[in-house]
Amino acid sequence: MTRFLVRRILLTIPVLIGIVFVVFVLARVIPGDPCRAALGERANATVCNAFNERYGLNEPIPVQFGIYLQSLVQGDLGTSIRFNRPVADLLIERLPLTVELGMYALLIAIALGVPLGLLSAIKRNSIVDVLTMLIANLGVSIPVFVLGLLLQFLFAVILRDTFLGLPPSGRTVAGAPLVPLAQAWGLQDLGGPLRGLLDFFSNMYTINYLLRFEWNQLLDAARHLILPAVALSTIPMAIIARITRSSLVDVLGHDYVRTARAKGLSGAMVVRRHAMRNAMLPVVTIIGLQLGALLSGAVLTETIFNLTGVGRTLYEAIIGRDYIVVQGFTLIIAIGYVVANLLVDLSYAYLDPRIRLG
Amino acid sequence: MTSSTTVLEPTLGVASRGRLRETVRALLGQRSAVVGLAILFVFVFAAIFAEVLAPYPAEGAAAQLVRPGEPGRRAESCIHILGCPADQPETIFGTDGNSRDVFSRILFGARRSLIIGFATVGLAIIVGTTIGAVAGFAGGLIDNLLMRMMDVVLAFPALLLAIVIVTMIGQSLVNAMMAIAIVAIPVYARVTRASVLSVKEQDFVTASRALGESPVGILTRRILPNALTPLIVTGTLGIASAVLDVAALSFLGLTEIGIAEWGAMIGSEFNGIFSRPLIVLAPGIALTLTVLGFNLLGDGLRDALDPRLSR
Repeated sequence: MTRFLVRRILLTIPVLIGIVFVVFVLARVIPGDPCRAALGERANATVCNAFNERYGLNEPIPVQFGIYLQSLVQGDLGTSIRFNRPVADLLIERLPLTVELGMYALLIAIALGVPLGLLSAIKRNSIVDVLTMLIANLGVSIPVFVLGLLLQFLFAVILRDTFLGLPPSGRTVAGAPLVPLAQAWGLQDLGGPLRGLLDFFSNMYTINYLLRFEWNQLLDAARHLILPAVALSTIPMAIIARITRSSLVDVLGHDYVRTARAKGLSGAMVVRRHAMRNAMLPVVTIIGLQLGALLSGAVLTETIFNLTGVGRTLYEAIIGRDYIVVQGFTLIIAIGYVVANLLVDLSYAYLDPRIRLG
Repeated sequence: MTSSTTVLEPTLGVASRGRLRETVRALLGQRSAVVGLAILFVFVFAAIFAEVLAPYPAEGAAAQLVRPGEPGRRAESCIHILGCPADQPETIFGTDGNSRDVFSRILFGARRSLIIGFATVGLAIIVGTTIGAVAGFAGGLIDNLLMRMMDVVLAFPALLLAIVIVTMIGQSLVNAMMAIAIVAIPVYARVTRASVLSVKEQDFVTASRALGESPVGILTRRILPNALTPLIVTGTLGIASAVLDVAALSFLGLTEIGIAEWGAMIGSEFNGIFSRPLIVLAPGIALTLTVLGFNLLGDGLRDALDPRLSR
């Protein structure tokens, strides 16, 4: 297992180097003048020259890449052209929201999708199966932004004054204070990556409130997250339900399952002890692949629910030609991809001994 | 060619016609396909007869239902027999922020969405099939090179990559369709390559090679027809996601302003959800139903064409 682990982790290094290169090139092929995009009316030859000088945009592209690599190695992601702030700061401020949102969305998707798929497979061709697959089909068909708006309309307009009412947008009720964890725990003097990490978790509102035992505010933050998280979860949920169903149907047709039945095991026992583990392999793969769908969905969800997360920031950076932000954010996302795939592979090895031993 | 083909060809024709009839019968036996077809029929009808069905124009100055000089505004639906004052223009779903009839725009939007779906997937299939067929047929270095390129495209979140592409080539509906087509190419390349690999070494291919058929002939006449089934299924499901993805781009404002496209209609009016929900939800429901129709049809096609996959 250790050898498998080491080999698998080493294999991600060339992939990461490739990603750094592709991301750099991709950020440069967006045409348009970052100076004009950032300064608008105020842009003229003199100002833009100074601007390009400042952000190193006058250098030839290969030199820019060299400088980029050099600062990356030093852990510097550069400074945003439009916000005039370090990209790392923007990430610490905005990534937590998207991570939080994506995490809850994925939890909802798994918690609903897997049982729905199992139920559907066990009661194949029953009314339960037909209904579940109809829900799954609707789930992949309804656009994230339409579902988001529909949820807003239902829970923030129609049910507004009932106990089911939910806030339509934002992260907390207006004016609710967010005390950074560093401040709450008297760690203001902490610096470096540890401080960054602490601030990162501090900006996930539900975690912040949970760690500070602010139950009312925790409830408020959670209530704000419900609608966007549900909107974001439907596509992964529907996909997980479909894969779970077809995978379990497939496994239930195998000889060893018939043997288990012939031994006299009950249906539930056969599924739980014999079929589940094998049926879960494709499900795990597909869960790992949902990261991309979640990110694409985050751009739309954050737009609808007026949230400033990675999706929205990246979208605005692409439109506004903020190369440095596009580079930095895409790189972090790509690393997230690689890590997710690594986790999927590791869970394979856990579920299927042939992989780690072979 | 030889006399054997003249004997073979007619029988082949009969066989494929019989197969088509069989496929249609199998398809109509699929519940999901029938529901999907029924939904799509409504939208195809709306798309074809939009001029006749729509009470007002959908785009441009003529679409504005207010007198010159009067500011455009969102309005509730207004139906005369339900008590709406007779001096106001009659609208089923109300008017948007530019005083345009939402119902008319949805009808014309159906035409646009169907064209988007077919054109986008058509382009992706043409390019993707070519890449996949060449990769599978040539093998070796060319195969590796082409398929790794496809992997790179797949490694990025589809919508974000499409946003970058649209920003690169300029913001418009056609460019949004191009971007979504580019992002979808790897799917068709993979499907085609897999089919090519599975039949490439079979005896009938070796036979036509022995008969002196050119590589292009072998590819187009012997191999590609065998890849048709998975391509039709993937393509139908692909139309669903193409309609969805182009709508997402135009929701974000990456297409022309004011066009009668469902995504753009939702994008420019979504703040109205709190005051005039129909303006936003009506195009949203149309979009969802169209996508659902293609998804159901695709599922049904898969079950009908490939009995191994059916329940």
